[in-house]
Amino acid sequence: MLKINNLHCKVEAQDGAEKFILNGISLEVPAGEVHAIMGPNGSGKSTLSYAVTGRDGYEVTEGSINFNGEEIGDMAPEERAARGLYLSFQYPVEIPGVPTLIFLKEALNAQRVARGEAEVSAPDFMKLARTKAKQLSISMDMLKRPVNVGFSGGEKKRLEILQALILEPKFLILDETDSGLDIDALKVVADGVNTLRAPDRGMLVITHYQRLLDYIKPDVVHILAAGRIVKSGGPELAHELEAEGYDKYIGEAA
Amino acid sequence: MGVIKPIAAETALIDALDGATGWLAQLREATRVQGLPTRRHEMWKWSDLRRAAGEITSAGQITVTGAADGVLEPADGETVELSVSASAGASAAALSVVVKSGRTVTLVERYRAEAGSLGNIHLDIEIEDGARLERICIQDEAEEGILVASSSIDLAVNAHLNQVAFSFGGKLVRNETHVLHAGEHSEAHLHGVYLLDEGRHNDYTTSVHHTGPGGITHQLVKGAVTAHARGVFQGKFKVDRAAQLTDAKMTHRALMLDDRAEIDAKPELEIYADNVQCAHGNAIGTLDETALFYMRQRGIPLVQARALLIESYLAEPLDFISDEALREQLRERLRDRLRAIS
Repeated sequence: MLKINNLHCKVEAQDGAEKFILNGISLEVPAGEVHAIMGPNGSGKSTLSYAVTGRDGYEVTEGSINFNGEEIGDMAPEERAARGLYLSFQYPVEIPGVPTLIFLKEALNAQRVARGEAEVSAPDFMKLARTKAKQLSISMDMLKRPVNVGFSGGEKKRLEILQALILEPKFLILDETDSGLDIDALKVVADGVNTLRAPDRGMLVITHYQRLLDYIKPDVVHILAAGRIVKSGGPELAHELEAEGYDKYIGEAA
Repeated sequence: MGVIKPIAAETALIDALDGATGWLAQLREATRVQGLPTRRHEMWKWSDLRRAAGEITSAGQITVTGAADGVLEPADGETVELSVSASAGASAAALSVVVKSGRTVTLVERYRAEAGSLGNIHLDIEIEDGARLERICIQDEAEEGILVASSSIDLAVNAHLNQVAFSFGGKLVRNETHVLHAGEHSEAHLHGVYLLDEGRHNDYTTSVHHTGPGGITHQLVKGAVTAHARGVFQGKFKVDRAAQLTDAKMTHRALMLDDRAEIDAKPELEIYADNVQCAHGNAIGTLDETALFYMRQRGIPLVQARALLIESYLAEPLDFISDEALREQLRERLRDRLRAIS
């Protein structure tokens, strides 16, 4: 489903200097599977999520990103989104003045139009939003407020998952979805993610800690260090990391 | 001191105002002696009217509908629709508005200026004790025209002014508002929105002079400017020694939509009282790239994402308009305009 081959990516820093963050990542996530990417700070986890979703400033210099048989490395972010790629942000962005419901309706219909599907009518959309919001214990009042403005950390993360439930992407990248969540919020978010698990949907769960993986059980765990995958294995790898830390992998990558 | 050698536009204006009285006579005399304002005048340093009027050679016509004989005295609860239209050439008009004590009045001013016009209009506004005026100045049809709309507002005690200026600019558009603020439970709200496409120039200049104690002035002006357009904001609060406990806040925020946009801002406080709350904030920025990416990642195309972000940014001062239909109408104008320029 998602095939990343020998991906190199450089990022332009604020001082204009360029830095290579990804140094040849290869990774394949088949439909129906959940893969976890674990790694220390600065290993390139977030960069990988931005490179795959096409953020400006994250330039792919070598390698390829193939999604469902299509090369997407040169596509605009909205084109990748319309093909079903979804990124749950580590730090969801506040958009003052744009009510969440309006934002979500615009997003859903833009994706549908891009795919040649009919737009969803306002009443149908409201029904959909109400049903999905209930699943995540999100009030409709909250959805009338501007996107993420004044939301707590937990509310922002829940809203990320709500957006995924409404947009129904084919592939989800969850970037540090557990950060800033207490255990109750973590369970709600993980439940939401688990309802999205499906034979035709893949997921990449990026996390620093093993904790999230107790709730979202991965099929494969990859360890990322210095912009490369240094080890892949089963779920037991996450437990091993929790016990032993990242130190030995940082050594290996250097 | 010699009189300047007039350019054709000045001669046309001076001739057209022959025999005028009041403000028009003052305009004629100022034009005769000093010429049209240039960047050498401190108040006009970013809006060179004389240069902008360089190609105008004849007199034009300014038509005002909605105010018979140039005098308005609206009834309580009345909404007055005022249309001001300047044809090609130099022209000027003046009118006076009195909001009688205790009345609540809405004044919706719609301005048009044809290509090749230099339209000057002045409103003398008196808001009497306990009266309320909501004033919406819509300057979205100046295109290639020059329009200078000035007003002197006399705000009595216990009176209330709520002004929202909405502009798409023009060859040169200036809204100049002067408020004489008596304080003593009176309030002035002077908001504004401008959205400027290539070649447009908009200047929102306001000054508020607090003469009595306890007055309130609040101002929120927001703008967005594309390449080769210029937005000017000049805001001044003057607080006399007698105007203790004045509460005055000025905020101007604008977006540069392109590196080649220009925004000039001069917030100014002149305070002679020692027990007041006065503040000004001025911030010029660019569209939030992170928000743009977030929206695009959700599937909203770049052009649409930009338009949505700019619209929501600019819409904030429109929330001060009480009439929901008018507020929505102006928001729709913004939306259409954004669609056209992106």
